[in-house]
Amino acid sequence: MIPLSWYLALAFMLIGLGAYGMMVKRNLIRIIISAEIMGNGVMIALVAFSLYLDTFTFTGQGLVILIISVAAAHTALAMVLMLMYHRRYQTIDLGVPVVQEEISDE
Amino acid sequence: MRLFLDFIPVLVWAILAVVLVIVMLLASWVLRPHVLQNSEKTSTYECGEEPIGPARVSYPYNYIVYSILFLVVDVMGAFLWLFSVSALRLDKMVVWQVLFFALFIMAGIMFAVKILPQTFLSGEETLKLYREAKTKHETKEVHH
Amino acid sequence: MLMQIEALLEHIEFLLIAGIVLVLAILALEHKDLVYAVFFFGIMASFVAGFFLLLEAPFVAGMQIAVYTGGISVLIIFGVLLLPIFHDTTRERFETIRKKRLGIVLSIFVIILSGSLVFLFTWPTEIPAVNVDLAQSLEGLAQWLWGNHGIYVQFIAIIILTSLIGSLAILKLEKAEHLNPESGVYGLATWDDDTSEKAKAGNKSEDTVPVIMAQDAEEEGT
Repeated sequence: MIPLSWYLALAFMLIGLGAYGMMVKRNLIRIIISAEIMGNGVMIALVAFSLYLDTFTFTGQGLVILIISVAAAHTALAMVLMLMYHRRYQTIDLGVPVVQEEISDE
Repeated sequence: MRLFLDFIPVLVWAILAVVLVIVMLLASWVLRPHVLQNSEKTSTYECGEEPIGPARVSYPYNYIVYSILFLVVDVMGAFLWLFSVSALRLDKMVVWQVLFFALFIMAGIMFAVKILPQTFLSGEETLKLYREAKTKHETKEVHH
Repeated sequence: MLMQIEALLEHIEFLLIAGIVLVLAILALEHKDLVYAVFFFGIMASFVAGFFLLLEAPFVAGMQIAVYTGGISVLIIFGVLLLPIFHDTTRERFETIRKKRLGIVLSIFVIILSGSLVFLFTWPTEIPAVNVDLAQSLEGLAQWLWGNHGIYVQFIAIIILTSLIGSLAILKLEKAEHLNPESGVYGLATWDDDTSEKAKAGNKSEDTVPVIMAQDAEEEGT
């Protein structure tokens, strides 16, 4: 029988990897990917808790289902925002400084 | 009897698939003749024509809407799957909820499809913009 | 005897999938080509479903494969394919190496802080309750979701439709900028000499990129 701490260690490793990607990477798509990796870690932790705690309920699994649906929604919006960022600034690299263009008077 | 025991063949199969691909690639790398590789040899074969630029081109942005529409239907299908395998499909209250849920998302998709033509340039509009820009450019050249 | 074989198989499966998932996550973050990185993320998401099967949650595993592998990773791959090729080899750099080191140190701090949670407290080592079989598990989950918390599903519908229509609205704004370009910048800039000169004067044309790369190279050199 695998102890719960193994699952928690794995989940925290995934969350740490996601945090590393969020802090170090400067490419917008990679930041979205690291957000998804963090979400996967959280989901593993939730399902493990729901199985290992004393009284078994379906709360953990149900919450994970809701999390997956909301992840789909926010990824869709994030991809469209990424494309629009690229359309406006010709880059998806956050390390490149962008200059807000002046609005002409005409 | 734990649940995962039923799915161990799936895991074995998945790992076998990955290993098989790697082994085949490695074998072909070992067996192939290692001759001199130059830019002419590694370039893409396009029926004798010289290839221009990379093979990957960027597509118009508005196609992302279709994959978002697919995602919406995907999530709805998952929820309906959970509903349809349980005994709740005989419960009238739950059936009303499901009906409302499905009709709500269907109405949203109908609205999205209805305003879809407003979100990208149609062929005529692109042509109009192109002609406007071209006449502007030509008049400027005449002035110069 | 049978129990021992079962426990051994469980340990082997956990360690195998954990190794695969961690390697794929690192590859998804570190691979140079963005398309490969997204593919690695998709494979990682489908291996995470193996954990859900280990944890007696078959429906969550199925939904993980249907939505994450089938929906989200495909959406991200599609988004990468819509970009010009120039942007998918990563050019990401920090302004200084010190800031990158600070990021690495902070993320290691996150891992250590959360890892201490694992080892400081005593967590249960056995599954206390039951062996849930497939039909019972789906039934209970459906009861939880549709029977007891049906309103959450309606909220999910609202959230998903909000994201769909919000993204359509953003694309509609983009089309409006095409049709009525503000000072020609968003029009067909190839024919318009004024705007290309203006864009060169500003910081947003193709010409800016080599300049910034040169700056980066200087900073790395010093």
